[in-house]
Amino acid sequence: MNDAVLRLENLSVSLPRGRKNVSILDNLNLEVERSKMLALVGESGSGKTIAALTVMRLLPKGAKISGHVWLENEDLTLRDEAGMRAVRGRDVGMVFQNPLAALNPSRTVSLQIEEAYRVHHGGSAKAARARALELLGEVGIPNPASRLDDYPHQFSGGMRQRVMIAMSLACSPKLLIADEPTTGLDPLVARQIMALIGRLRREHEMGVLFVTHDLSTVEEHADAIHVLYAGRSVEWGPAAKFFAHPRHPYSEALLGSVARVGQARLQSIPGNLPEPETRPPGCRFAPRCDYRQPECETGYPPPDINGGTAAACLYPLPVNARPDIFKHVDKLAVARERQLEISHLVVNYAGAGGLFSRAKGFKALNDITLELGQSECLGVVGESGSGKSTLGRAVLQMIGYEGSITLDGQDFSKLSRAQKRVERRRIQVVFQDPRESLNPRMRIKDIIAEPIRMIGAAGKAPIAQQVATLLGRVGLNPEIGERLPGNVSGGQAQRIAIARALAAEPEIIVLDEPTSALDVSTQAMLLNLLKDLAIESGISYILISHDFAVVSYMADRIVVLNAGRVVEVNDAGSIITNPQNDYTKALVDAAPQLRDTNRQYPGLAQENLTGTAI
Amino acid sequence: MSDQLMTEAVAAPGMPSARMARMFEWASERGTLIAGLSLSAFVLFIGFVAPFIYPVDPFAIHPAHALEAPSRMFPFGTDELGRDELALLLSGGLATLIVSLPSAVLAFVVGVAYGLASGLGPAWLDRLLMRLLDAVLALPSLIILLFFASLVTLNDTSLILLLGFISWPSLARLVRNETMAQKGRDFVLATEQLGASKFYVARVHLLRVMAPILVVNGTFMVGDAIFALSALSFLGLGVQPPQVSWGSLLETGLDIIALDPWWMILPPGIVVFAALLAASLTGQGLLARWGNRQ
Repeated sequence: MNDAVLRLENLSVSLPRGRKNVSILDNLNLEVERSKMLALVGESGSGKTIAALTVMRLLPKGAKISGHVWLENEDLTLRDEAGMRAVRGRDVGMVFQNPLAALNPSRTVSLQIEEAYRVHHGGSAKAARARALELLGEVGIPNPASRLDDYPHQFSGGMRQRVMIAMSLACSPKLLIADEPTTGLDPLVARQIMALIGRLRREHEMGVLFVTHDLSTVEEHADAIHVLYAGRSVEWGPAAKFFAHPRHPYSEALLGSVARVGQARLQSIPGNLPEPETRPPGCRFAPRCDYRQPECETGYPPPDINGGTAAACLYPLPVNARPDIFKHVDKLAVARERQLEISHLVVNYAGAGGLFSRAKGFKALNDITLELGQSECLGVVGESGSGKSTLGRAVLQMIGYEGSITLDGQDFSKLSRAQKRVERRRIQVVFQDPRESLNPRMRIKDIIAEPIRMIGAAGKAPIAQQVATLLGRVGLNPEIGERLPGNVSGGQAQRIAIARALAAEPEIIVLDEPTSALDVSTQAMLLNLLKDLAIESGISYILISHDFAVVSYMADRIVVLNAGRVVEVNDAGSIITNPQNDYTKALVDAAPQLRDTNRQYPGLAQENLTGTAI
Repeated sequence: MSDQLMTEAVAAPGMPSARMARMFEWASERGTLIAGLSLSAFVLFIGFVAPFIYPVDPFAIHPAHALEAPSRMFPFGTDELGRDELALLLSGGLATLIVSLPSAVLAFVVGVAYGLASGLGPAWLDRLLMRLLDAVLALPSLIILLFFASLVTLNDTSLILLLGFISWPSLARLVRNETMAQKGRDFVLATEQLGASKFYVARVHLLRVMAPILVVNGTFMVGDAIFALSALSFLGLGVQPPQVSWGSLLETGLDIIALDPWWMILPPGIVVFAALLAASLTGQGLLARWGNRQ
């Protein structure tokens, strides 16, 4: 209690929405201890980012705050705007999600770090530069003296995030707020950043408020956890206890929807997160809860503190329960007929050449040979730049390539352009961003009807009938067909994209990061849907993802790509339990969900995990 | 900091009723569009309907009444030949609109087709078309107009073609750039994966997402065409005498500005201005309604 760096007391925040003020966060109580990391966890719309911004008072205009924000012994809510400016950056540092957006592209990193320092400390330019050098070294940038005068674009994503962290440390803050600091980074790099934050907080005795939706990172790095749902606390306490014996039904469901090794089936949470205007009066999770009782809907339940964590639930799970989400099923290798054959595939990307200059190209894929069996799911894993998306695009015939891609004995590279255009239809695609993949100005029923018309079906009534059937197959009501893509949720939009792919009656669907833009619970529903569709229709998938856990849940076989080459191919179980290649080992290691969940992890991982490039 | 959350904002006082408030909001949101459309209706009325309501022969000469200020007999006065200015204005309106509207449509179609071809075609075609475009844009359009206007016999058809073929380049470039930006989007790729041709993608998807830009620029082109024809007529190269246009009426008035014939200058000036404003307001109104809904 006394060693708390940050203490939020009955903190409520409301924001203006239209003409009304809507309550976003209600009665949040939490504490970040010195040198400890507290993870504030929630899905999008849970209010976790608003809570973090409230500490800094970086809220949109018209926001109303009540309650107290104690930074050590001072109530920050009593400070005025000028007083808050003195706190920001000096007592509280902040690291944002997108380091490229948070750094000024037109100034050198040294200038930006110096600025952060001199705003509060003043002093000579020379002293500030010395501090910048010291900080860059501290955050693990190799050869810092030579990088001082580099611009942000000259750093890789992970290095940029290190620069951001150096900036936030410039004045040795007591508290660091890290808002999804690793989103968008490759898993290996993400893990290094988290390890860096872990080291710095111990060395500087700094409390860390870590805002995230990623439970597996929390499990590995945080000391304490605080789960938010729809603006209210759901469960809080020591992280280790939480992961061993979650008490709140929402925690159970959330843990169950994260893909883990050998998991039989992801748990999906029915329904959607309520909008701030329509939050239920009682327990906010009640409408989606499996254990719901009538009294759950009357009022916010008092916390149950009998277990290792406190859970705001009238009927929490038993104190020592291990939810059945931890059960394992081993995948069986099945002999399959070969459907797709990729042999000696090479993709060269031509650089932009001018009229008078020769284009400089590079090899995105180098001599790839693979095959895909009937109704098999082939997972393609790799970091950004490994060529995994390029592989998908080549299979889809979207880009030119050398070598051959043969589907059911038909070699695409031997087809004429016109034939290829027709035959491409047999391989369909689902993209990462569901909003980008639907024409914003077309009604959903027209989007799904498009492939049906192109195949050659005629007649309004039969097409409408088929559209309704397809919507039903992906778990949507036919009424949604009248809407525009802007009026559906991200998960629904992704289902619509799947329905469109199915409408073309493909043999293979390439899934290019199909769930990485979605919330955890939506992700689980979608992966389950894809699994069911494969069983039902015998479609094969090529699943491209940087998320090893998702791939391990879905795939029968996994290919690991690095720098345009196949590093390892094997069936999913073997690759995870027994990776042969060093690079695969590093990737598997960086995905904590892949480890045996019944094992206890010893402390924190050492910072420099492998020699892999950042 | 109070412990209570603020209560909802109370409705602004001074509104007689909720319905009035809603109507006011409805009108203010669409104010620009409503103003633009009403003004357009007014201009079209002058050009296409009014000549039949005011059936005075615009070319009848009344030497006794030359250069008279507005009177009961000649509501808008007369010119130096004693012709009825109001009849001239209405007849000039028809002559102006009948050339400038089709030429705007022509420029629009050429611009969109050129831009789509450049954006969707192979890289060499794109380069060729864009360099050609640069060449056209490099020459001042008025000079080109004057050059061709002096070469061909001027009638409605040749004027439509002339005006149409000089005002497409800016739209073509806009459509080409927008095509480049949109053609790599996932929904276009997904459509191509269905076996769609480039033509289909352009017709069904690209035109649809570009609709706001096209409508807005289309209305601006109408304004530009009226302005260009007026400018040409003003230089004596537009609609040929005895037929008048708004531009040539303005020119005659300005020729004898020493005599201060305000009734010969103001009405044509005002209608040209109204036509430009109508097109511009309509375009901006549509942009506000559609532009931000992506």
